Amino acid sequence: MTKVTIEDKQYPKQLRNIKNPPKQLYLEGNIELLNQNIISIVGSRNCTPNGKKLAKKFAAELTMQKITIASGMAKGIDSAAHIGTMQAGGKTIAVLGNGFNHIFPKENIELYKEIIKEGGLIVSEYPPDTKAKSNLFLERNRIVSGLSIAILVVEAAHRSGTSVTARLAKSQGRKVFVLPHEIDDKYGVGTNNLIKKGAILITSTKDIIDNFEFLKYIEFEEASTENIDKINKNKIQKQKTNKTLEMHLTNKIEKEVYMLIRNGNKEVNEIAKKSNKSISEITNALLMLELEGAIKKIEGGYKCI
Amino acid sequence: MVGRQNRGEISLAHYGVLFLDELPEFNKKVIEALRGPLEDKSVTISRLNMAVTYPCKFVLLASMNPCPCGFYGSDTQKCNCTKEQIRKYMSKISGPLLDRIDLQIEVSRVPYQKLNSYKKEETSEEIRKRVNKARKIQLERYKGQKIFSNSELTPALIEKYCRLDNKSKKILEEAFEKLGLSARAYGRILKVARTIADLENSKEIKTQHLAEAIQYRSLDRKYFEN
Repeated sequence: MTKVTIEDKQYPKQLRNIKNPPKQLYLEGNIELLNQNIISIVGSRNCTPNGKKLAKKFAAELTMQKITIASGMAKGIDSAAHIGTMQAGGKTIAVLGNGFNHIFPKENIELYKEIIKEGGLIVSEYPPDTKAKSNLFLERNRIVSGLSIAILVVEAAHRSGTSVTARLAKSQGRKVFVLPHEIDDKYGVGTNNLIKKGAILITSTKDIIDNFEFLKYIEFEEASTENIDKINKNKIQKQKTNKTLEMHLTNKIEKEVYMLIRNGNKEVNEIAKKSNKSISEITNALLMLELEGAIKKIEGGYKCI
Repeated sequence: MVGRQNRGEISLAHYGVLFLDELPEFNKKVIEALRGPLEDKSVTISRLNMAVTYPCKFVLLASMNPCPCGFYGSDTQKCNCTKEQIRKYMSKISGPLLDRIDLQIEVSRVPYQKLNSYKKEETSEEIRKRVNKARKIQLERYKGQKIFSNSELTPALIEKYCRLDNKSKKILEEAFEKLGLSARAYGRILKVARTIADLENSKEIKTQHLAEAIQYRSLDRKYFEN
């Protein structure tokens, strides 16, 4: 862990210009990342699955545009942004509202370790023994936006912390990008409000890049970085395994059970009833499918992988 | 529950059933105290000037919700609990205790129409007959061994009576590796598989019996995903 004060050379330039910059920063991991072009992806902690998916997608795509993704390592959109970046082979910055010894929420300890392992950076304004407190998280948000050249708001409910971050970003002179939502979507009230107040509506990564004169959009096909290859490979492989799996299932019952689960029947009794087989036959098939890696146990039943 | 000076509930349930409704609502210390007695079938209460051992051969039956609000994993209702709440709720029941619960079954909500459906299912009477038959098979098999049911099999006796064919052995091995089952679960899975085989009046433990026994360990597996 290193401590950087506002007088130090390593202190991020972007951050020095904001209204109330932190006097010192505690850093763990790859300090170089602070000099990159950073865009923050922010959104609600309590988010929809689709929101998570979009956060991951934009994180991955921006990574391919050589942008470093920062976020707050909270639940929901924040975590998804970090995960999406790392899945695309990128390095990500997490800004905490607490000390390193009190990672919050607890379940994100794994993520914290992963970010450092993958060459990312953890930033905190507070000494390691500072416990998580709600007002500190609001303070943290000014660093998230302060480090970045822009922020992308994925999901925000009415009167959420995310809206506060967006307001801070705007006052710091950062660009605020927003994904539009349906007007009756309660997870999109905040984002739509931001658009009304003059935030930039975007629907693709290109929209974001085109807003900066010093950035140039890298066409996906042309960009032959390893990362993209890796992603594409994974995708193709996944499609392949799914297809082969279906053909692979020679056992009739297993195949029937697999298809039933794929159509949304997750519970054992339901599967037994619909296939008209005994529980013992079904459990047998379920175990085999699970061992083959075709299905997975989840709460209340099973799902296809 | 284990008792202070007099017999506690677990000794009162000797040769019977101890049913704990809403298991996670009990004090954690009380739940954990069940571990020893479940294994030893007896409980020793040590006090300053005395130590008493009571027998407690009971069947532990417990029920719980998937989360504090009860709707986690439901298709029709939305769960209002945070992940942290669910984790806390689940953590009331430790791994070692779960290991000692042989049959773990998830039951989903029953829609109204099904409550009074006329579809014919196996009646309790029929099941009772099947169970009695299985008990008889076990009594017969363990004559001279000083035990009378599968649950009492010692590791040495498991070796003798719960033989698996090569295919089943491989499946069990794989299941342990991939599903993250604990070593303690090993003997218990074999005993349950033996019982399922007995219920079907089968001399050998077949693959499907083993598979069913493994599937009854649903809570041992990882409960959450990101």
